[in-house]
Amino acid sequence: MVYSSILDWIHFPDVMSNMYYPFDVYNLPYDISYKLWELLGGTIAWLINLLLPGNPVSTWLICDEVVNMFALIIFMIVIFLVVFIATLISLWEERKVLGRLMDRRGTMIGMKGFLQCVADGLKTFMKENTMPKKVDKMTYMWTLSLVIGTSVLIACMIPLSQRWFVVDYSTGLLIIMALFALAPFFILVSGWGQNNKYSLIGGMRAAELMISYEVPILIMIATTALMAGSFNIGDIVNAQFNSTWYFIPQIVGFITFFFCATAESERTPFDIAEAEAELVEGWQTEYAGMKWGLIMLGDYFRGYVACAMITIMYLGGWLLPWDPLQINTYLPELTFLIKTWFVFFMMIILRGAIARVRPDQILNIGWKVFMPLSVVNLAIVLMLKIGGVY
Amino acid sequence: MVMEFLKKYPYDENIPRRTLWIMKPFVVVSKLFVKAVIHRDVAILYPYEDLWMPDNYRGRPGLRFEKCISCGICVRMCPTSCIELVEVLDDAGNTVKRPQINLGRCAFCGYCAEYCPVDAMTVTPEKELAEYTREDLIYGPRRLACDKINKNMEVHLEETLMSDIKNGNSERRVNAFMTDRPILDSSKCISCKKCEKVCPVKAIKMIEHGVNAKGRPILWPEINKDICVCCHNCVDDCPKSALHMDEVL
Repeated sequence: MVYSSILDWIHFPDVMSNMYYPFDVYNLPYDISYKLWELLGGTIAWLINLLLPGNPVSTWLICDEVVNMFALIIFMIVIFLVVFIATLISLWEERKVLGRLMDRRGTMIGMKGFLQCVADGLKTFMKENTMPKKVDKMTYMWTLSLVIGTSVLIACMIPLSQRWFVVDYSTGLLIIMALFALAPFFILVSGWGQNNKYSLIGGMRAAELMISYEVPILIMIATTALMAGSFNIGDIVNAQFNSTWYFIPQIVGFITFFFCATAESERTPFDIAEAEAELVEGWQTEYAGMKWGLIMLGDYFRGYVACAMITIMYLGGWLLPWDPLQINTYLPELTFLIKTWFVFFMMIILRGAIARVRPDQILNIGWKVFMPLSVVNLAIVLMLKIGGVY
Repeated sequence: MVMEFLKKYPYDENIPRRTLWIMKPFVVVSKLFVKAVIHRDVAILYPYEDLWMPDNYRGRPGLRFEKCISCGICVRMCPTSCIELVEVLDDAGNTVKRPQINLGRCAFCGYCAEYCPVDAMTVTPEKELAEYTREDLIYGPRRLACDKINKNMEVHLEETLMSDIKNGNSERRVNAFMTDRPILDSSKCISCKKCEKVCPVKAIKMIEHGVNAKGRPILWPEINKDICVCCHNCVDDCPKSALHMDEVL
């Protein structure tokens, strides 16, 4: 029996040299997951080879196709985990900052209160999973899954940098916006399917709110795309690298988009769909236990996506604010996340400062203030574009 | 929108424009945020931290067993009548009366400590009093002791009397009731010596004033006004209501 060292089974080749490499350019999370599987699969292959020398499974485990397949599975987990932890951190941030705004301490359980998220998750997981008798079961469960699913999907589709992405698609912002805009229909159907007047009112409100705020948001996305010359997120950020960050020429659009994105992700002061004071829990009234916990998590995913869109479109994405040495590649993912959390911090300040507006006021503001402002923003950008400034 | 706003808030020199500014809540909230981050916030981690308490914080009443003269003023003054005198053994083995407090009824007003003539009853800063049963809330004389008692916990009722002001003396008296003394209506006295027995400070002495028709001595109480603590026990126990309290100055 010939003893083979474990080092014969684990060798870190260049990811790009794999002929089944699924991306066009270098992808960091894929590289990480590829190397992880090299370690894991190589160890398994070596162990199997120790027991049964010369078996085909060992060689199968580390051939190009199989490594690629397992690396893709780990890739999904890595991408999701990073977004998940970023969202949990923004949740923790909301609790702590909101506590400071109210002159109290916020959560205090472990790691400066961060582990409260874990405790809450466990608690909702332990709750009894009840379902009312008279709900329409199909819409009840399916709309829930779709709302949470689309939220997680768009959160994962946000690229953190030019090397940290899932798909480098050329219609970037439009696809994200399209998936973002799917939610009100599910919420409306869910509110109807729950057989509860509070849910129905909540669903109606969510639908009217989101539909009326999508128009200015889409106009402003188109404005940014016009300015950058592309819908691709990487191209938009690069265009900001070549000129200035877009919140300077588009200051009107930046402020308008900030409020619209807050409304679109159903956060206070625009949370008329959830409206704890008058509707019990809005369209989430009949969801119990882990279902409700996942809805809350989905809400925070949507908040994270809204902040990430603001960061990409106006705050220069993963660019450093002052970069004379052109070290743009130094931890761009962290830069992006810090900017996202900063925008989320602004949203928390907004939540702490302003009381909730009435449904009719929200529609008034949406159609009579934000909509004209977004058109004004478009006009400014058009003039800048025609004048040859950008 | 702008015209509506101007119609609603017309220009007025007296109103500072800043108060109508839309950014005001943001400024206020940001200020509070910075303040709460830099300084300590109002909320405390209760079981691990404790609020600062002044020495004369009116927590549960405390008793210094040796100082008490069992006069019963605390029993009389308690507005919720949660205090009663019970018989216990003191350190020398004699049976004495000492107050027992039902903290389930106590209103934490501190009157017992204010009116105590010898400052045996005090307030204490102890406030963690949770128990499992109502019986556990009844604090006996020994349990009322508190090792943290210091001079600041002896609270006093300070008051200026109308009669004092009339006499041209407007100083505050520490205990207003200490100016009252029992006065004897000697025509009603039957010489039963009850007042002498119930006096907690032995201020009453029976003095002979001749003999009656049957040849028995006539005894009238004489009150030592320097020792008397004005506890009303003699007045309450007099079978013929021969004693009454009066302000003597």
